[in-house]
Amino acid sequence: MSEPVLSLKDVGLRLKGNAGMVDILSGITLDVAAGETVGLIGPSGSGKSSLLMLMGGLDRASAGTITALGQDLGPMDEDALARFRRAHMGVVFQSFHLIPTMTALENVAVPLELAGIGDAFDRAEAELKTVGLDHRIDHYPAQMSGGEQQRVALARASAPRPEILLADEPTGNLDGVNGAAITDLLFGLQERYGSTLILVTHSRELASRCSRVIRLRDGSLDTALQEAAE
Amino acid sequence: MIALAWRLARRELRGGLRGFGIFLACLALGVAAIAAVGTVRASIEGGLAREGAALLGGDAQIELTYRFASEEEAAWMNDQAVAVSEVVDFRSLATAEVDGVTERGLTQVKSVDGLYPLIGSVRLEPEIPLAEAFGTADRPGGVMERVLADRMGLTVGDTFRLGTQDFTLSAILVTEPDSSAGGFGLGPRTIVRTADLANSSLLEPGTLFSTQYRLLLPEGSDLARLKAEAEAQFANAGLRWTDARNGAPGIAEFVDRLGAFLILVGLSGLAVGGVGVSAAVRAYLATKTSVIATLKTLGASRTTIFLTYAFQIGVLTLVGLTLGLVLGAALPLLFAPIIEARLPVPAAFGIYLGPLAEAAIYGLLAAAIFTLWPLARAEDIRPAALFRDALAGGGLPAPRYLLATAALAAALIAAAALFSETWMLTLWTAGGIIGALIVLTLAALLARFLAARATRLKATRGRTSLRLALGSIGGPREEATSVVLSLGLGLSVLAAVGQIDGNLRNAITGDLPEVAPSYFFVDIQSDQLPGFNDRLANDPAVSRVDSAPMLRGIITQINGRPAAEVAGNHWVLEGDRGVTYSQEVPDNTRVTEGDWWPQDYAGPPLISFAAEEAAEMGLKLGDEMTVNILGRDITGTIASFREVSFENAGIGFILSMNPGALAGAPHTHIATVYAEEEAEAAILRDIAGQFPNITAVRVRDAIDRVSELLGGLAAATSYGASATLLTGFLVLIGAAAAGQRARTYEAAILKTVGAARATILGSFALRSGLLGFAAGAVALLAGCLGGWAVSRFILDTEFSIIWSNALAVIAAGILTTLLAGLAFAWGPLSARPAHVLRNRE
Repeated sequence: MSEPVLSLKDVGLRLKGNAGMVDILSGITLDVAAGETVGLIGPSGSGKSSLLMLMGGLDRASAGTITALGQDLGPMDEDALARFRRAHMGVVFQSFHLIPTMTALENVAVPLELAGIGDAFDRAEAELKTVGLDHRIDHYPAQMSGGEQQRVALARASAPRPEILLADEPTGNLDGVNGAAITDLLFGLQERYGSTLILVTHSRELASRCSRVIRLRDGSLDTALQEAAE
Repeated sequence: MIALAWRLARRELRGGLRGFGIFLACLALGVAAIAAVGTVRASIEGGLAREGAALLGGDAQIELTYRFASEEEAAWMNDQAVAVSEVVDFRSLATAEVDGVTERGLTQVKSVDGLYPLIGSVRLEPEIPLAEAFGTADRPGGVMERVLADRMGLTVGDTFRLGTQDFTLSAILVTEPDSSAGGFGLGPRTIVRTADLANSSLLEPGTLFSTQYRLLLPEGSDLARLKAEAEAQFANAGLRWTDARNGAPGIAEFVDRLGAFLILVGLSGLAVGGVGVSAAVRAYLATKTSVIATLKTLGASRTTIFLTYAFQIGVLTLVGLTLGLVLGAALPLLFAPIIEARLPVPAAFGIYLGPLAEAAIYGLLAAAIFTLWPLARAEDIRPAALFRDALAGGGLPAPRYLLATAALAAALIAAAALFSETWMLTLWTAGGIIGALIVLTLAALLARFLAARATRLKATRGRTSLRLALGSIGGPREEATSVVLSLGLGLSVLAAVGQIDGNLRNAITGDLPEVAPSYFFVDIQSDQLPGFNDRLANDPAVSRVDSAPMLRGIITQINGRPAAEVAGNHWVLEGDRGVTYSQEVPDNTRVTEGDWWPQDYAGPPLISFAAEEAAEMGLKLGDEMTVNILGRDITGTIASFREVSFENAGIGFILSMNPGALAGAPHTHIATVYAEEEAEAAILRDIAGQFPNITAVRVRDAIDRVSELLGGLAAATSYGASATLLTGFLVLIGAAAAGQRARTYEAAILKTVGAARATILGSFALRSGLLGFAAGAVALLAGCLGGWAVSRFILDTEFSIIWSNALAVIAAGILTTLLAGLAFAWGPLSARPAHVLRNRE
């Protein structure tokens, strides 16, 4: 295996709950290679989404180290993490999380603008065309269907051509037809740009399209399944 | 259905009042401000009523101008009263030799008899009785206010002079019981005994003084009957009656007017609060969208939905009103000692139901006006909202709600007019507030439109913070509208007050040195006029001297009928007016109609009357007019009208006659002297030294006094406007707090896609700043418009924009929104994106 794009060593996450501290994740160690597609599966509450958030630097691990593209995320402050995501990561959520006060085009352009790219809007428009939404560029999120919003979110995540694409149940809020369309788009984009894709899903069908599936149970890796896949 | 709605409302209210802080604060503050102003006004009026007799210095007073009571009048007074005290009031120059230098000070002299004061007592320092302070006939004494004694460098025991009479300053005057009854005085008070002025040459016939006869009446006297009797008996003698029912009419009227005005300013505060109330209700109902949609899915009718939420808002309104009323009643009581110390009149602080009811009515109507629209929208929510993340729909509510809003607004305006008894001012204020609200709404819409457009501009591309800011102003949320409305309205009031005050000050002080005289000299006896003119004619620093004979008279009849019947209550008929005579048309005077009398005219009296006032009174050439001068009726025919300017502080007489008509009456002269400022001191020294009876009024000092008064008025108004601005700030805080959830969400997404905190903070600051600028700019426009209208139509002065005030308003707008916006920025900036975003899953 070549130098991993993402490397987790003994990662744990403890959060304060009503009944005291709760271990959400513990002892997670795994490497993800460049260009790999990884499906994170497991029952509700097993810590899939939390793990994805840690990988994206959206939350901080309580233990262990997370290295992305050779850089340790632990010592980075909020701004450094934001800059790292801007340069190397795209994130897609189950609830889309578009900025409600911005049009589709503006939403897609934001990460490009933040990266200081001159033709941000042209590229954003092209990206929207890629996901089949060139007729919706001036619409606000509230004026679009769930499937359309998720396509905008996909365009936003992939527009800066990130090395790592993280997706948290990207089809969870969509019907079968829309879910399938988004799945095709997601894998299409990953293939076209050669990104590393890590996605959280409940869908066996979606997981089966990944090159590797990792199962979590009670905040730890279910090694049986991982070994089987390898 | 009502019972069901009430049950539903009660269940929803179980959640408590959380989230309604701003609603309650806005309503309570608006109501409290109005209730407090009303309570203070009622307290002062209560104090004036309770101590009317003490303020007046007797149960009743008859005031005469520039003469003493006739035997007949004195006899009538003695018949009615248990005791009659005579007080003479006039202006004079007090002089004193201090360390070899002659010091002079303008003073308002009150000379009294042995009975003074009939009611209350004079407090002196050292504490000696007034009679003792007056000394003996061969060595008379007097008392003066500390400010005058200090100005002249006098201490108790020193000698000062009034006219040609010396007095020993035997004590400092601390308080006089009847200080409020007199009108506007140009100088501090001096009190001496009238008998001691016999040799002062100050009370010669024709000099300007007034006499006040204070009557102590038998218990149970009918004041109204006595007033009518006095006025009937001495109808044309020019007497003015005042009695204890309203002991200080000038002050009572002033307090009444100022109170009414401040309440109108308070209403604008309530309007600002209304914007906050409206925003709070909208925000609350937005959180209830799913509840409403669910209720509708289960079969609730539109009316049930409307009533359910109307009940909830009604309960909250009552809580807000109660808070406001308690605050408004308690604050004046709490600050009573401080307020009382600063008031020149007594006040009876207490709880007055009238003003509280007035404030409650305003609060109730304002709450209804501002909550009706959002409530009307609630019933429009469709069950489908459960399945879609629908933003609150825009557009107008059903016509019945529009009608109801209009009716409520009309009721509020009518109530304000009824309570303030000033229809014009109320309508102007209401028009101003409604106009400002409309302009501000349009401005907010325009700002949102422009912001939305600007995000598409190439120029904003790549400037992420700016585009984020513009995006959130122009986007589909309504926060921008309520910020621009609330802050804009508060700033508009402040801007208007600033512009009016500034322009008024400019009108008084700005241009005066160019056109106004340095001194007014009054009480120049005819035989002193040549000497007076000689001194000034030889002074190269004097550019101009105008003088005119000065008498005072009361217009009693027009064409044989009582003047008031012909010309109503025109101000010219209120009391006595200056009357003059001259052979020729004076300089700076233009005859607009009719002819001036010929040089050698010796026929029956002819009158030249001020053209503008004549037109207002409906006078025409050939009308006969009777003027009572020194108790004597003189009837003349109006032969001409002329233009008289009162603006440049020169000599302006409403009424002039041919010399033959008046020359025989005892009179003095008035003069205005235009001189360089450096020469003023020498002129005063020479004139006052040569003619001790002549009183000089330095125009600059008089202007300072007027400016001081205006300053007080402007300050009172500014406090009112500040309450409005404070409410505006509360609304801003409310808007910022309401927007915090959205802001936190936005920040989390932006961090996810790679925005650093500085970028996010920059966009928050820019958004606040831009909104503040928009509100400030519109407020400036509205304020200047209001200021112009008031200056032009009410004050009749020139208007020009005071840029320092204007820029301060815009700066205040930006600063206030920045403060409110940034106060709520920390939460969104510090939140971890994962937590925020997962909570929204």
